[in-house]
Amino acid sequence: MRQALRLALGVALTALLVAAPARAQDGAPKLPATLEQLTIADAFIELRTGPGRGFPVFFVAPRGARIGIELRHTDWYRVRTEEGKVGWVTREQLEATLTAAGAARTFRDVLLDDYLSRRVQLGAGYGRFKSEPMLKLWTSVRLSETLSVEGTVGQVQGVFSGTDFWHLNLIAEPWADRRFSPFFGIGVGKFTNFPNASLIGASTTDAKLANAGIGVRYYLSERFVLRADYSLYTAFVGDAKTTEYRAFTAGVSFFF
Amino acid sequence: MHPMNERTLRALLLIAAFAAPLPAAAQAASPPNTNNQVVVPEVDRRGIKVPTFPSNDFEIGVFGGTYSTQNFGTNAVGGVKLGYHITEDFFVEGVYAISKVDDELFRQILPGGIFPTRKPKLTYYNVSFGYNVLPGEVFVGRRWARPSALYLIAGVGSTKIDTQRRPTLNFGFGYRVFLADWAALQVDVRDHVFSLDLLGKRTSTQNLELTGGLSLFF
Repeated sequence: MRQALRLALGVALTALLVAAPARAQDGAPKLPATLEQLTIADAFIELRTGPGRGFPVFFVAPRGARIGIELRHTDWYRVRTEEGKVGWVTREQLEATLTAAGAARTFRDVLLDDYLSRRVQLGAGYGRFKSEPMLKLWTSVRLSETLSVEGTVGQVQGVFSGTDFWHLNLIAEPWADRRFSPFFGIGVGKFTNFPNASLIGASTTDAKLANAGIGVRYYLSERFVLRADYSLYTAFVGDAKTTEYRAFTAGVSFFF
Repeated sequence: MHPMNERTLRALLLIAAFAAPLPAAAQAASPPNTNNQVVVPEVDRRGIKVPTFPSNDFEIGVFGGTYSTQNFGTNAVGGVKLGYHITEDFFVEGVYAISKVDDELFRQILPGGIFPTRKPKLTYYNVSFGYNVLPGEVFVGRRWARPSALYLIAGVGSTKIDTQRRPTLNFGFGYRVFLADWAALQVDVRDHVFSLDLLGKRTSTQNLELTGGLSLFF
C-alpha cells in the first residue's frame, strides 16, 4: 500500500515536471490571434529581409512551426514566426503549408480560390484601324465562367485626323478553361473624329458605333494574358449613312 | 400448494410466456443490425474561415517637378498617380498631371502669339507599364536598409495644350526607395512624345519631364 502511494506520488511529480516546460511555452510570446495562422508542412521555409528574390535569407522556420501572415505584396508574404521573427516569404514556399483547417485545406487551395475569384482584367493593345495606327486600353469584368463585360477606350492617329472612341462589349468565351481560347464579342459605343489643327474649316464629328469581333486569348502565366482580336466597326455617321472599318489589334492584359 | 397461489403463478407464467417473445419480435421487425457501429460519429462541422490577407499592391501618389516642352518653355508640373504592382517585376500606373506652356518666344516675332492666352494650361494623362529592372536595397548608415528599384517605364496617353489634344507616347526611367512597407519615394525621368501642328507644319516633339514624388501603398 505504501509502495503504491509512493509510486503514485512519483508519477504525479513526474507529470508536473513534464508539464512545467509546456506551461512555460504557453507563456512565451505567441502569434496574435488576428493573424491568419499556417503550419509549415515542407522541410523548412526561408524568411527574407525584403519582398524580392534578391534579399538575403536571415531566418529559416522548420517543419511544424506555426507562422502568421501579416501582409501580402505582389507574390510575397510578410510572415511572423512564433519566435517573433518577421520576414518575407515567396508564395511558392507557402503553397504546401497547412491552414487552420488542416490537411483538408492547404494554403495552395486558398491561393487557387483566390486566383479563381479574380474577375477584373486590364489590358492594352496596339494595331491597325483601317491601315492607321490604333491604340486601345480595355478593362473587363467576368460575370460568369464564359461571359464578361468589357469597356474599351482607344485612339486612332491618322494623317489628317485623329479619332477617340469608347465602346462597351459583351464577350463570350465558350472554352474559357483552356489556355488558348477563342472569344466573340459585340458592343456599342461612340467615337469622335477631330481633324489635325491646321486643316481649316474642318469640324469634329461625333457618331455612335457598333462593333462585332472575334479574337483569341492565350494565358501566358498566372497573371498575364496575350490576346489578338479582329473587329468590324460600323459608325452611324448620319441618319442614312454608315461607314465600316476593320481593325486588328494585339496586346497584353493582366488580372488584378 | 395453495390453489390461489397456483393460479397466480400460472397467470404470471402465462404473461411471461407471452411477453418473452415481444422483445424478440421487436428485434425481428427492425432490419438485421449485425455490424453495429461501435462508435457513433458525432459530426461537428468546423466553421472553416476562408483566410483573407491584407495586401498592398495598389499605390497612390503625388508628384511634382519640371516639364520642359519643346517649343514652349519649361514650367512646373504637378500630378497624381494610381499604380498597381502586378508581380515583383511588373507594375502599371495611371497618371494625371497639370503644367503650363508659355509662347513668350513666339510673341517676339508674332505679336499675337500662338495661343489666345499667354500661359495656357497643359494637362496630360497616361497609362504606363513598368519593369523593375534593377531591384535592390539601399543602405543609409549602418542600421537602415530599405528595398529600392530602378525601373523602366513606357506608356500611352493624351496631352492637351490649350484646346488641342494629342495622342502621346511616354517612356523613361525612375528610381523608387521604400521608406516603409506602405510608403515610397521616387524620382522619375520621362520623355513625352507627341506631334504638334505648329504654323502649318506637323512635327514630332520631345518633351522631357523630371519629377519627384511620394507614394502610399494600400
